[in-house]
Amino acid sequence: MIDWATLLPLAFAGLMGLAILIYVVLDGFDLGIGILFAVAEEEDQDPMIAAIGPFWDANETWLVLAVGLLLVAFPEAHGVILTALYLPAFVLLFGLILRGVAFDFRAKVPAGRKRRWNRAFLIGSLIASLAEGYMLGIYVLGLQTGLAAFAFGALVAVCLSAAYAAMGAAWLIYKAEGELQKKAVKWLQRLLLFTVLGMAAVSLATPFASPRIFERWFVWPDLLYLSPLPLLSGVLFVYLWRETFHLPKPGDRHALVPFLCLAAIFTLGFFGLAYSFYPFVVPDQLTIWEAASATESLGIIFAGTAVVLPVIIGYSFYAYRVFGGKAGDLRYD
Amino acid sequence: METDPLILSRIQFAANISFHILFPTITIALGWMLLFFKWRYSATGNTAWMRAYFTWVKVFALTFAMGVVSGVTMSFQFGTNWPGYMQKVGNIAGPLLAYEILTAFFLEAAFLGIMLFGFRRVSNRVHTLATFLVASGTTLSAVWILALNSWMQTPAGFEMRDGVAYATDWWAIVFNPSFPYRLVHMLLASGLTVSFLIAGLSTLRYLRGDRSESMMKALRAAVTAAAVLIPLQMLAGDQHGLNTLEHQPQKIAAMEANWETGANVPLVLFAIPDEEARTNHYEVTIPNGASLILRHSSDGVVPGLNDYVGNHPPVLPLFWSFRIMVGTGMLMLAVSWAAAFFLWRRRSLPRPLALLMVPMALSGWVATLAGWYTTEIGRQPWLVSGVLKTADALGPVPGGHVALTLAIYLILYVVLLAAYIGVLVHLSLKAAKEGDSSPLPGVLHRPLTQPVAGE
Repeated sequence: MIDWATLLPLAFAGLMGLAILIYVVLDGFDLGIGILFAVAEEEDQDPMIAAIGPFWDANETWLVLAVGLLLVAFPEAHGVILTALYLPAFVLLFGLILRGVAFDFRAKVPAGRKRRWNRAFLIGSLIASLAEGYMLGIYVLGLQTGLAAFAFGALVAVCLSAAYAAMGAAWLIYKAEGELQKKAVKWLQRLLLFTVLGMAAVSLATPFASPRIFERWFVWPDLLYLSPLPLLSGVLFVYLWRETFHLPKPGDRHALVPFLCLAAIFTLGFFGLAYSFYPFVVPDQLTIWEAASATESLGIIFAGTAVVLPVIIGYSFYAYRVFGGKAGDLRYD
Repeated sequence: METDPLILSRIQFAANISFHILFPTITIALGWMLLFFKWRYSATGNTAWMRAYFTWVKVFALTFAMGVVSGVTMSFQFGTNWPGYMQKVGNIAGPLLAYEILTAFFLEAAFLGIMLFGFRRVSNRVHTLATFLVASGTTLSAVWILALNSWMQTPAGFEMRDGVAYATDWWAIVFNPSFPYRLVHMLLASGLTVSFLIAGLSTLRYLRGDRSESMMKALRAAVTAAAVLIPLQMLAGDQHGLNTLEHQPQKIAAMEANWETGANVPLVLFAIPDEEARTNHYEVTIPNGASLILRHSSDGVVPGLNDYVGNHPPVLPLFWSFRIMVGTGMLMLAVSWAAAFFLWRRRSLPRPLALLMVPMALSGWVATLAGWYTTEIGRQPWLVSGVLKTADALGPVPGGHVALTLAIYLILYVVLLAAYIGVLVHLSLKAAKEGDSSPLPGVLHRPLTQPVAGE
């Protein structure tokens, strides 16, 4: 007899985690390209937009799915987390709205107003990234308040934004050609430093913020089993760092490698966090099972999710293939 | 200054959802309209249809983006301001919302990329399929969301255990008493909104002297759709009203500003309802009108607010939002039939009618919002009729925070709305200047061969 009451909340925690991870990787490069507008020349901006044009709508929908799953599967946690993060959540939404509409407006307004919407695109992407980083920081600390928590949140905000920008640069290396591609390599090189700093900060802060997490990590032999997470991340970072001195390569070999590397690093970091927090959905307050909806309701949602999610993932591969290769002009006809 | 988080949170939710609904109202029906253009193009090979498609798919892209970003706000809002809602009815609202997100995600956002930018990259057939899937996705989303909203109006298929709602019959939950009526009413509203939007902006081009074939085709299609849909909508609205009379009589009483239950109730055309004095000022009425409309007999008994003292929605906003909706509908009927007559019989539009049709581009929004205010304010003081009061769902957010965020939201929405309408007008004027002289799009039934890196 399968114990659905134990299994379903666990499955939903997994699904939600997957949705968050996919969101961070996919919308990470969209937001990153927005942030890179700060240093991009005006003639680079159209190709940069073209590199994310067909994807961003679907990418942002992963956030709706992640927050939606939190809402429907763990309603109590949704309430606790979002009332605690009321203002940063608002700032995030403001940024996402600005970024999303600027994307469309900039291409459709009279030519003279385009710059205004380019700026809105940059500002929106930047605030949304900062807000996500800040929320992550506060969440890692178990929704603490106070000056120290704020400072840590601000640090994570800056580092996550830099990491997103690095993702954006890595995506551009794949999608862009010529001068822009070379610039993207330079951008990536500089941004990697901040990304390393950010991941190190979160990795060190989490165990020290919570004795429970400290004990999960620094116990023999668990430490041994967990050691591949930081070690592999380190190796990938070093590899990527060295790679940036050789890109772009003749015949555009390895153009997708930086992006895949960063995605892998994000994934490793994500598993580290997931291990730290399990079984809590609100750190040290609510476990997955305490916060879950009624089992029968979860069952209904699960049936739909099990059908739809593989199709979405399959379709996403198709869409990325249709729009694969170097970005052409973004045109409707 | 004293700030009341309840009223502020309510205004904020109203502002967010009002802003949001503007865009799905367009995308739901515009998707099908685009599919129609695409179908005509595939069937006739006439590229004018495809030009019409490209003109309006830009509007679709922009509108969809507005809908996505304002929709993200909605998914956060339950937690930030109304945690009590999911605590109490989450077991029912959750699955419905989840299915909304999944279908929206599954069909809309995912296939949008191909629909918008893929015409040269996939075959005509796949592109048509993408358009069909996006249109189906928007419509299916609407089905789920309206099922949830209707359930909040007329809950069914559940039981309360320890103060929390548990589902007992999902069929009854989805097909709750008001759902079929609300769904039809809303889908028709979407069709009318889009018809008038296309008609209005095409007329703007017409007034600028543009007579291009693609514009005229879109204009005729939109006017015809409007002329056909508006009588259907009136019938659907009447049926919806009768359904409300059966299940939410206090809402009808407030809509009609009828203070006393009784027979031979007049139809109030104009009044300033006064809840303190429980009477109407400056009344203009048609004798027996309300009894005739609601009971189809002059001595039919119409429920009055005296049966629901202290437990009925506010009268003034309900009375007026209902009249604004109905008034806009009447105007739509007159304008669309006149325009259809002139376009099909005289093949031209008289200038005064054309001048009226341009602002009528937004008439669908006015009617849709007024209708939603009627039904949503009409549910107060309940959030879920008879199960959860709005006041009891509020979260512990300080009023000052809500006031601050509300102010920024409002400013943002005004700016975005101005920009959105500005862009629609700009796109129309630009199209009017270019006419049908731009280069032809890709070739029928086969993707345009263009070099793609990696091939």
